[in-house]
Amino acid sequence: MFDLINPSRIFHWIEKLINFINSIFFILLIIALMFALLLSPPDYLQGDSVRIMYVHVPSAWIGLASFTSLALLSIFSFIFKIKNLNLVTKSIAPIGLLFTLLAIVTGSLWGKPTWGTWWAWDARITSMMVLSIFYILLILSHKLIEQEDKANKVSNIIAIVGLINIPIIKYSVDWWNTLHQPSSIKLDGTSAIHSSMLLPLMLMLLVLLLYCALILLMKYKTEIIRIKKKNIKRI
Amino acid sequence: MIENFVLMNGYGLYVWLSFAITFLACGIIYYKTYKTLKKYEKEFIKEFDRLPESEKKVVLSKSKVASQVLATYNKSI
Repeated sequence: MFDLINPSRIFHWIEKLINFINSIFFILLIIALMFALLLSPPDYLQGDSVRIMYVHVPSAWIGLASFTSLALLSIFSFIFKIKNLNLVTKSIAPIGLLFTLLAIVTGSLWGKPTWGTWWAWDARITSMMVLSIFYILLILSHKLIEQEDKANKVSNIIAIVGLINIPIIKYSVDWWNTLHQPSSIKLDGTSAIHSSMLLPLMLMLLVLLLYCALILLMKYKTEIIRIKKKNIKRI
Repeated sequence: MIENFVLMNGYGLYVWLSFAITFLACGIIYYKTYKTLKKYEKEFIKEFDRLPESEKKVVLSKSKVASQVLATYNKSI
């Protein structure tokens, strides 16, 4: 099964996928932006500031999902000693950090008109801040530790330890009294959000997921080339 | 109508800034990732060009990645 992520086997497909995403990305982006900024209605309480949700919520979801997948891959890598998985986790980390920071910044921009403050040491916001610190530590471990094996081990440990923070982020709004509202969309499929707002939200999520896939594939391709360049005489 | 769209009933600054920051950050990361990829492709080709002809043939026949990098690089220049 793990042969499926063999760089030589999938390199050709990476190029094809990058071209495919590039070809549909801008059309989907324009459609998503039209729905998010023009066609979706303002909220009866928050007015037009609710449109920030269309970048804030997908960013937060991607930040969380990236870390979860990164930590699970680290566990697999630890158990099965598969080096290619480390290439994938190394490629996911900067994407996760980008979207976690975007969730924090856009959340702050949403907080000012909604709560009257840019920032509060609220459980959800603080735990998201902790997530970004885990991402930074992960990226730094690869930058500062020269021995690749050691760097991979350290980053795997950071990812596995950081996994504890994910349920804390998810349930922070239920466990503590927070400024942040509880989830409007639940994992079991029940939703407190009207379809006229759910559609733009899902469209923006799709666009940002495609963007993530594009960056991940480009970063993974870069990592493969870097390794092949190092070992070119051994081929 | 355009004024309403821009001002968003007083929330324009927050909404536009959120979207601008998101897409600007995504654009910068895309550009940096693309540049790094091209840099490594170029370095790979340089390393490949330094090999003697006989070794080049071996590399091309054995490594799918090498032949793929060469093909995409030649297409892009």
